[in-house]
Amino acid sequence: MLVAQTSGQTLVVQLASQQQGIELVSKQSNLQILPHAPLPAAPAESAIQSDATLSGSSSSFNYAQNQPTSTGPSLGDLGLTSADTEGDAKRQALFDRRSHMLKIHQRLGLITVIPVAAACISSAGAPPEKGNYSDTTSRDIHVALGATALAMYAWTASYAIRAPRVSNGPARGGVKWHKYLIYIHAPGMVLTPILGAMAYNQINSGQKVHGIASAHAGVAVATAASYGAAILAVSWPIHLKF
Amino acid sequence: MKSLLPIAILLLMLPLYTALNAQAPSPDQTWKLDQSTLTYHMSHPMHEVDGTSHAALGKGVCHAGLCNFLVAATVKSFDSGDSNRDLHMIQTTRGAQFPIVQVKFSLAQSSLNSPTLDCDLEVQFAGNTAHYSHVIFQQTIQGTAHHITGVVPSTLTDFKIDPPTFLTIPIKNAIPVRADMVWHAE
Repeated sequence: MLVAQTSGQTLVVQLASQQQGIELVSKQSNLQILPHAPLPAAPAESAIQSDATLSGSSSSFNYAQNQPTSTGPSLGDLGLTSADTEGDAKRQALFDRRSHMLKIHQRLGLITVIPVAAACISSAGAPPEKGNYSDTTSRDIHVALGATALAMYAWTASYAIRAPRVSNGPARGGVKWHKYLIYIHAPGMVLTPILGAMAYNQINSGQKVHGIASAHAGVAVATAASYGAAILAVSWPIHLKF
Repeated sequence: MKSLLPIAILLLMLPLYTALNAQAPSPDQTWKLDQSTLTYHMSHPMHEVDGTSHAALGKGVCHAGLCNFLVAATVKSFDSGDSNRDLHMIQTTRGAQFPIVQVKFSLAQSSLNSPTLDCDLEVQFAGNTAHYSHVIFQQTIQGTAHHITGVVPSTLTDFKIDPPTFLTIPIKNAIPVRADMVWHAE
């Protein structure tokens, strides 16, 4: 049985076992049999789809010429089922959305490198110079850059977290390391501003930075380094070739 | 003497039968793809990537001296060694909507043992069909195994695929696919 879609009307072509001709049956007329309907001069690429039974065989039917023209194998002959061959537009839309969100994640992640690097550089001026605790300008700039880096980092991460999952398989390749490094830079991005705020308060109260707050610089460096490594992980290996 | 006459007639007809038989088409035959390695190559100024599939299925059917072949693989079966890149490849090539890449070609049955096979390929991929004429495949025959290698000179534009970018730089348009297959006659 063949199903033909012609200008919005579905026709069913039945091939009788003792085929003398073709019976055209209209679905819309409740399977009313039409006597020897004339064959349309459809082009070879007319939208005629064979059903699963016929497509699984090694023959096909040419609607225009009313005779077999091809003996080529079909996907069914290869053992592929309709579940393997049929597309899923919804799933494609999910892939599109995921890719779109991860592209934004990538762009924001690269942009975030700027405030992270600037915060690291500005940290040189953050400690008080020779006991001068009153000048807070450099420290305030460092705090502002650090806060910007944190906000940008959170914005970047939100796109990766909210991107739809399309595969339950394990991560392979660079993205695996990209994900492992989250366990370093994500806690680091939380700890660094907390330790920074503690150090800031200690300095403002005329104290030397002490206790756990003294780990602020070390945690920040580890965080920035792992963040950079996470970017490299999904870019590696790089072969410059222009 | 009379008893020898039919034998003589048969002997005389033998060359004629042989000549007619030589012109008759070869018997029907089917071919099966036993092993395959399909590898696409993607180029970017910063990356060179190969994605490989060993999951291609193939069959050939010979009738009346003409062999029609079909090779198909799922898009998701291509592995570049990076799961994120593979998922992005599926998205870019609309692999969820069109999950199969299939190649059809025909060959004269008499040419199947040639060291080179000149094929006109019809490739369906990403919802589009492209034709490649005179793609040359090299063939070595070891026993019953026909080992065939060749490169399909496919491009992104052939299938209306938007080139993915990395650091705003798009990948190259050419995506050659190397095929390495072993076929057996059934």
